Amino acid sequence: MYVRALPTTDVNRNTEWFTYPGVWTTYIIIIFFSWLLVLSVFHCSPGMAWTIVHLAHFTVTYHSFHWKKGTPFGDDQGIYNRLTWWEQIDNGKQLTRNRKFLTVVPIVLYLIASHTTDYQHPMLFLNTLAVFVMVVMKFPHMHKVRIFGINGDQ
Amino acid sequence: MYFSTYLSCCLILGFGHLRDFFRRILVLPFTDYNLQGYAPIFLDHEDFYMRRGYHRVQDCFSRPIASAPDAWFDVVEKVRDDEEKVLDRPTKSRKCLNLGSYNYLGFGSFDEYCTPRVIESLKKFSASTCSSRVDAGTTSVHVELEECVAKYVGKHSVIVFGMGYATNSSIIPILIGKGGLIISDSLNHNSIINGARGSGANIRIFQHNTPSHLERILREEIAKRQTKAHKPWKKIIVIIEGIYSMEGEICKLPEIVSICKKYKAYVYLDEAHSIGAIGNTGRGVCEHLGVNTADVDIMMGTFSKSFGSCGGYIAGSKELIQYLKHHCPAHLYATSISTPSAQQIISAIKVILGEDGSNRGAQKLARIRDNSNFFRSELWKMGFKVLGDYDSPVMPIMLYHPAKIPAFSRECLRENVAIAVVGFPATPLMLARARICISASHSKQDLIKALEVIGKVGDLTGIKYFPATPKKQEEERDGIKIGCCSM
Repeated sequence: MYVRALPTTDVNRNTEWFTYPGVWTTYIIIIFFSWLLVLSVFHCSPGMAWTIVHLAHFTVTYHSFHWKKGTPFGDDQGIYNRLTWWEQIDNGKQLTRNRKFLTVVPIVLYLIASHTTDYQHPMLFLNTLAVFVMVVMKFPHMHKVRIFGINGDQ
Repeated sequence: MYFSTYLSCCLILGFGHLRDFFRRILVLPFTDYNLQGYAPIFLDHEDFYMRRGYHRVQDCFSRPIASAPDAWFDVVEKVRDDEEKVLDRPTKSRKCLNLGSYNYLGFGSFDEYCTPRVIESLKKFSASTCSSRVDAGTTSVHVELEECVAKYVGKHSVIVFGMGYATNSSIIPILIGKGGLIISDSLNHNSIINGARGSGANIRIFQHNTPSHLERILREEIAKRQTKAHKPWKKIIVIIEGIYSMEGEICKLPEIVSICKKYKAYVYLDEAHSIGAIGNTGRGVCEHLGVNTADVDIMMGTFSKSFGSCGGYIAGSKELIQYLKHHCPAHLYATSISTPSAQQIISAIKVILGEDGSNRGAQKLARIRDNSNFFRSELWKMGFKVLGDYDSPVMPIMLYHPAKIPAFSRECLRENVAIAVVGFPATPLMLARARICISASHSKQDLIKALEVIGKVGDLTGIKYFPATPKKQEEERDGIKIGCCSM
């Protein structure tokens, strides 16, 4: 029951919490519980609830992974100030297990959301747009790329 | 357990962002700072952890004390008015059991041999030398200190500095520069990281206390450099610590030294917490693990932990120290260590080695070993998750959950036990801990009281992650032991 957590070699305190065991499971559990929460608060159909969860997940992860740059403490003297969280994890190495997991989660959410809404029109369009943006942003070719200067440095 | 920890971190983060958001719309447009043209001291996001995390619980850290850091000391009580403003300066203080000072051998307060000599030296030489070592800052006490420490540590010569942090951060850039490679343990102290970054050498980090990973990195780096840059590394230094202050673990020195010998890398051992605290005569981790001091190239240590003074030293061969004396900026330009502090170190070493004519030194060493082992085994029996090796006087109790940090700290203070708690970013995000440092001046009653209090608070905050050893089993075991002994 108790997993031995080996200390990692990641110096960046902002991202090294993601390398410990239990993060993936917790992430999935949080998504599932938020679906239950949405269902109980809004009394909508399960499909609508999954769509809401998917779009909320998109907003939260877009803001925290791909919009916010730098680290929330001043100790590292701003060496990561130009990098978003996504660009910081695993020290910038692409296609690691963490990155693959984080790319798969929105895709799976999209599949669940579109399946449970029976591919009906307004939800399908929004879901597809969300998953498209999410996945494109996580490509290795998009590392440190700022399209049209969005989220670029001042 | 992981789930609740992550959830709690998410909540703190969420609330922080929410409060920031409301502050931006409700408060900022109405505040009137006339600071046109000034750059902000902190960027918005850099200060986030400080504002929304640390300041909410800042009464658990940096508590001022009003007496010498002995086994019992006076802690000034702080009054919290408003969450994020500076705390008021009150005058009340209360006597608490000190489990947070690095007072390993009990030299932190009045000592019958050391203190009179220090006062005499203060009267003779005055509090500060007011000059750097090369100008007029070298007194006979400084020379005696360097000889004394060299004999104690087991190296040919020693150079002493006025500040332990500055020792690391100013020596490492002198020893190695661009074209060199520093391989440091992942849990090394900030001073080493600072010195390594300032040196300009390439830095690689190896997994904490894992000699196999160190060997893999050495092989990788040597081969890569030969093939890519077509010339070898100028120098490779492996930096490790004797006892890691956040883990209480002792480094695997024999394996690391043998690997470094094989690949011709230098070993830099930082004995800040282990000198004077472990080993039969207190000579540190080399004596404890049976490593010849000639195998460790550079031994560094500080005097603020076991010797009750301040400052740091570097011990090495004659040529190394000669080179450092000519090149190190902390030696050439910084004020030398104050003379009474130097005298305190000399007297402390004399007490430890028994040269003052009594066996107090040996008693202190035996006491700290017994105290640490007793405390650690009792904590284990109660069901706490305690890190650290046997014989190490530093024991972190894992709290994990960020909300338990202030809870544990405040409850213990209410019971008059002062414990240092550590959270992010000094430790990894999920691995917050309460760190206990045992001292030779703690008596058995002190430790028993501390155990009682920690046991009670541990039940309250729910940090007994392991099942406690039932008492009946223990008595049976003891009964069998006594039976065997009496035979």
